[in-house]
Amino acid sequence: MEGVINGKAKEDHHHHHEVELSVWPLVVAVGAFLVPMAFMLAYSWGVRFLGLLVAGVAVGTLVVGLFGWVQEVHSKKQDGGLSKIAIMVFIVSEVALFGGLFGGYLYTMLPEDIWPPASTPAGIPPLALAVLLSVFLLSSSGTMHMAEEKIEHGDLNGYKSWLIFTFILGGLFIAFMGLEWYKLISEEHFSISTNAYGTFFFTITGFHGSHVIVGLIMQLFLVILASQNRIGKKKLTFSKAAGLYWHFVDVVWLLVFSLMYVVPYFKVGQ
Amino acid sequence: MSKEPTGFKSWLFTTDHKKIGIMYLFTSMVFFVVGLLLAIVMRTEMLDQTRQVIIDAKLYNVAFTIHGAAMVLFWMIPILLGFFANYLIPLMIGAHDVAFPRLNALAYWLYVGAGLIAVCALILPGRLDIGWTGYPPYSIVGGANTAFYVFAVHLLGASSIAGAVNFITTIITLRAPGMTWGRLNLTVWGLFGAFIIQLVGIPVLAAAVTLLLFDKYLGTSFYDSFKGGNPILYEHLFWFYGHPAVYVVALPVFGIVSDIISTFARKKIYGYTSMVIAIMIITVLGFETWVHHLYVAGTLDWVRVLFMWGTILIAVPTGIKVFNWLATLHKGSIELTAPMLYALGFISLFTIGGVTGIANGLLGFDIHVHDTHWVVAHFHYVLALSMSMLCLGGIYYWFPKFTGKMYNDGLAKFAFWLTLIGAMIAFLPQFQLGYDGIPRRYWKLPVEYTTHMRIASIFSYIAILGFFLTIYNFIHSAIKGAPAPANPWGSRSLEWQIPSPPPFYNFDEIPVITEGPYEYGKPK
Repeated sequence: MEGVINGKAKEDHHHHHEVELSVWPLVVAVGAFLVPMAFMLAYSWGVRFLGLLVAGVAVGTLVVGLFGWVQEVHSKKQDGGLSKIAIMVFIVSEVALFGGLFGGYLYTMLPEDIWPPASTPAGIPPLALAVLLSVFLLSSSGTMHMAEEKIEHGDLNGYKSWLIFTFILGGLFIAFMGLEWYKLISEEHFSISTNAYGTFFFTITGFHGSHVIVGLIMQLFLVILASQNRIGKKKLTFSKAAGLYWHFVDVVWLLVFSLMYVVPYFKVGQ
Repeated sequence: MSKEPTGFKSWLFTTDHKKIGIMYLFTSMVFFVVGLLLAIVMRTEMLDQTRQVIIDAKLYNVAFTIHGAAMVLFWMIPILLGFFANYLIPLMIGAHDVAFPRLNALAYWLYVGAGLIAVCALILPGRLDIGWTGYPPYSIVGGANTAFYVFAVHLLGASSIAGAVNFITTIITLRAPGMTWGRLNLTVWGLFGAFIIQLVGIPVLAAAVTLLLFDKYLGTSFYDSFKGGNPILYEHLFWFYGHPAVYVVALPVFGIVSDIISTFARKKIYGYTSMVIAIMIITVLGFETWVHHLYVAGTLDWVRVLFMWGTILIAVPTGIKVFNWLATLHKGSIELTAPMLYALGFISLFTIGGVTGIANGLLGFDIHVHDTHWVVAHFHYVLALSMSMLCLGGIYYWFPKFTGKMYNDGLAKFAFWLTLIGAMIAFLPQFQLGYDGIPRRYWKLPVEYTTHMRIASIFSYIAILGFFLTIYNFIHSAIKGAPAPANPWGSRSLEWQIPSPPPFYNFDEIPVITEGPYEYGKPK
């Protein structure tokens, strides 16, 4: 080797080649591929039952694949310590996703003289419930922070407790959001197809809610890994990544709360 | 470290960046061929303007839809961000693999899934005829199964975001000791910029098509103006990614051109720092251009002028790159190998496309040629043919490295000239058609353009023949080529300092880097 290379590295750099073969990426990809297949069976080709069946297989495959993946990664003695940077990079793409959705909402709302449209039933948006949802989610960011402090000091039991607490608060958020959706759709007759506000309301709160669920799944995995002593002071990155992601989901909620609840609450132009 | 696995499973379950790269190469080549075959169908249909030659108007719509999607989404982006990124980045930065090898494998398989849906969209009922842009309201109220389109974009988008996260993390964290940012190959820099665009742009495209799906199946009113929505919103969201997608292709191509030219001119690349700055400026400025696709969509004047300036400004960093390539060639010890011919051919085609692009970006002129054949001619010069050709040139350049074999030089050069001559002339007549106001995507045109279209068709056949000969050369040489030495080009870049093909772990030990990849003309 001439020119470019001079001498040899003294210490081992990152060795990320410990697992050359892994079945899990293919399993997860098959699961991801079956989701659209299920949708198209049910909606494009009208075979609802088969669609439902394939959807079940898809979810099962995804769960098995992700679980196997996480287990495999955490069977290593040490982690590469790269997930935190990766999740920060990933959050950039999430910012773009919500940026696109909120941008579309503002693009539709701002030219209107009346917002929300007159066809929106009275009592919508349900601001009181949204305040309760905010309490759940904002305090869960605090408990997540406590959990992160615990694991950095090597207190795995404390970590687990605070994480479970976070999980419960996040779970309450999803439960009450589900209740809200149910009430709006079945009692107030306000749905995704009522008008432009309903369209954006259910889409954006739905997108945000799905991100909360992803955060909860991460926490579930972390609780399991903590119980098996597979994470700890020296294997922090997954927990750090999950923490960052959770705080991000919280920040997005502030935007959802102000743009989807507070602004329409004032019924501009009516 | 384990032993190198072999057999069928070693491909199916692999997480090795080199194997994944080769799989991307094969798959994207398949879609390149699909796109070329559809091009042949369309060009043949254009031979006669008075009758149906082979397909009717409905199938013609399907042909240009799948042709566009296959070429942009399944060939050009994956060959660059799949094959070249995977194979080259770890070798060029001195790493054993990427940061997340499993995520890398997932990205590939998601791309395959998206490809399967795209094939369904071509052959199953509800064939996609909505154009690769999928504009509403036609994509919502038409007969096509828009779900094909949406889900192909979803899977491809998930794949792209996984790839972007993985490679951005890899480039930031896994550079070998001494591999400073100022010593990276320009190919790595170009890919880095492209991944940033993917990271920011793809989620917005994914959002745009998701809302399309909701409108079609859930009765929402995002793009329905009767229910308080606005179809123009889709165009904004789509082109927010759709235009920067051009730079996703262009930036790695610029990098590869720089590497090839420096090697075969035996000169340090002229203005390395300005090249890097230009790449980063294009990465950012690329997001300030999209509204030029909406010049005639009732957009506010000040917005149109703002985006016109963004569009025109892109020409500055792009121009810097072209002049730097010429300055690198100046007084170089030029060796006209096949990859070098492709690089030079690229510069000539790209310059024609780029100059017509400036005209296109000008608000007043664009209103005249918007949605005409002018635009088709412009982007086939600037993007389609020039950059596809350069991808083939890049494959030739690194062919000895990843196959360990030499390609057939005579056939490579012969096919290059066929493609270049074909490409140069095939789209020339369409500039006039567009200038005369003939809209694009029409099945039949006024008969006075029969000669124009026949010239275009004949030269496109010549270009496509060149492409097919090139692909034949790849396959034949990979099997029967003469063994290649480690560094047949005498390059100073890191990937050429290891054996061909690279050993399983790339480097026995992580190298310590002491100088950049373009240090030619120095005593060894």
